[in-house]
Amino acid sequence: METIRNFRRFCLDSLRLVVVGNRAYYGWVAFLLALMGLGIVAYLGQFQDGLIHTNMRDQVSWGFYIGNFTFLVGLAAAAIMLVIPAYVYEWKPIKEIAILGELLAISALVMCLGFVLVDIGRPDRFWHIMPLVGLLNFPSSLLAWDVIALNSYLLLNYVVATYLLYCAYTDRHYVKGFVYPLVFLSIPMAVSIHTVTAYLYNGLGARPYWNSAILAPRFLASAFCSGPAILLILLQILRKTTRLEIKDEAIFKIAELMAYTMGFNLFLTAAEAFKEFYTNSQDVVFIRYLYLGLRGHYTLVPFAWASVLCGLVAFLLFLVPKTRKNWVTLNIGCVLIYASVYIEKGMGLIIPGLTPDTLGEIYTYRPSLTEVGVASGIFALGFLVFTLMLKVAVPVMLGDFTMAGRPARSAAAA
Amino acid sequence: MEADRREFLKQTGLLLVLTGAAAQAWDFVLAGEPEKAPTYKLLDHWWAMAMDIRKCIGCGNCVRACKTENGVLLEPDCFRTWVERYHVHPDDPEHPEVDSPNGGYDGFPEKYKAGDGSKNFFVPKMCNHCAHSPCVQVCPVGATFESPDGVVLVDKTYCLGCRYCVQACPYGCRYIDPRTETVDKCSLCYHRITKGLTTACCEVCPMGARKLGDLKDPKDPIHDFLKDHMIHVLKPEMATGAKAYYNGLDGSVR
Repeated sequence: METIRNFRRFCLDSLRLVVVGNRAYYGWVAFLLALMGLGIVAYLGQFQDGLIHTNMRDQVSWGFYIGNFTFLVGLAAAAIMLVIPAYVYEWKPIKEIAILGELLAISALVMCLGFVLVDIGRPDRFWHIMPLVGLLNFPSSLLAWDVIALNSYLLLNYVVATYLLYCAYTDRHYVKGFVYPLVFLSIPMAVSIHTVTAYLYNGLGARPYWNSAILAPRFLASAFCSGPAILLILLQILRKTTRLEIKDEAIFKIAELMAYTMGFNLFLTAAEAFKEFYTNSQDVVFIRYLYLGLRGHYTLVPFAWASVLCGLVAFLLFLVPKTRKNWVTLNIGCVLIYASVYIEKGMGLIIPGLTPDTLGEIYTYRPSLTEVGVASGIFALGFLVFTLMLKVAVPVMLGDFTMAGRPARSAAAA
Repeated sequence: MEADRREFLKQTGLLLVLTGAAAQAWDFVLAGEPEKAPTYKLLDHWWAMAMDIRKCIGCGNCVRACKTENGVLLEPDCFRTWVERYHVHPDDPEHPEVDSPNGGYDGFPEKYKAGDGSKNFFVPKMCNHCAHSPCVQVCPVGATFESPDGVVLVDKTYCLGCRYCVQACPYGCRYIDPRTETVDKCSLCYHRITKGLTTACCEVCPMGARKLGDLKDPKDPIHDFLKDHMIHVLKPEMATGAKAYYNGLDGSVR
């Protein structure tokens, strides 16, 4: 009973916390809300007239939405880059900030679900694929697997993060027997969400570009270099703007881990390219369309090479200890690897998988304004969720936001 | 005597034209009461389609009949069946020129001159009603399913419009119906074949280039068709159990 009352208090206090802030905070939230408004306006058109507002057609029937979805699943999976050193190796500097990874995963998954919702032709039937509510074609359909995996991972992270924050709020130590099993479960689950998402494509025999055994390993490798890149920049921002102490060694340790995954990611990309180009069978057309252009169509070529180049430069910057420990080059590397994977695991994955189509036709897909507008709205939603969660989590981590200190603090905030 | 002979010819002709169950139902169809035909038994049938490339003249009758019968949009992206024209140079058989203006709805305008050493032929295409359909496998909500009589059907009232099946189909047979935002494809005229009729496309084909067949009916002429010709299915490497059987399918067809 007491717990319920305390939890209610925690929720109410959190709400009070997120509605007050300084000018920068209000400005940022207003900006995100405006972007979300734009997204809603863009989506209304699509909602009324259907997918014809997008540039997806039967030849390229998945595009920008699902590209972003795929990339963001990787971002969500990358939370374990913090969880593993924190809980498996009990490495103190990272353990203090591991919860940020979990919050990032929650926001990424919210965006993922948003992208799935806007992508389907009948959003009024979204409940058909909701676990427990709808009838899922499980275990046959990998999409059903993906829905279950993503929702479970979302739930898991939500429970763990909320529980940890609540414990800190009530000034108690968390129950190890409750948190550790869940945290350890989250490690295979993070691997599984991205593996299942890879299998979503991998399982289609009709699309040889995706039908490669190293697709899932590539998904994981790229996720584990792009996800932490966002975290690294975020940690630096938090360090600057709040009293949160994040040790240099935590950041450099993550950067070192990223160097390995980036190297592995490049190796796997090269392995795929070798197999396709050297055997030069009829299935080479897809990777050709991506890297060299096909029958006079070169739309993806500059993006594909930009991705390779960014990935290479970022790898070198992270590999050399000197540039890894230099804040300027470190941040350049983060932006580069983010851009590289965003291209590779977004449009660089979806579009060549579907072009040329099964009948050999080439339809040049470019996202429409509607798609870009809706996508920016969903990104804004994700950032908003993350911002609001941080608004609560950071004071909790600092010990400013506790039940005991409540009256004084809330008076000071007001 | 005269009447008997006429009767005999009619029955023989019917037997040749129609499949077993269909022949039974024919009297009811003629009487204008097809719904009173003997109850259709799902497990007594296993439907397939026999296509003869050598007979197809690219007239587009099947495409037009299909659109009319099934209320398919006239838009040039919406087809439940369509016809492709192949133009293959003997020196480069791996890269045929393929065109299908409006899916062959209006027939094919003259394009290639005879006697330049190339070969030209038409390939009618439609859902292969695979026995192990990738589209059925991947549908997240089971809105696409195989009926016990071997027809792949879509429940348009449950489909989400996620388009996963569009990508899973190796034959490009699925499209999104912009009116409902759900997937659509050939239903093998299920509303007709369960009443003992043949499909609209088979009905109108002037050359008999496509024939609906019931593989569970030992008297169905499709057995002879499969036995007496060199038969091929599209993309056999996909091992989907495709049931659109082609005679005279060129290796260049994809």
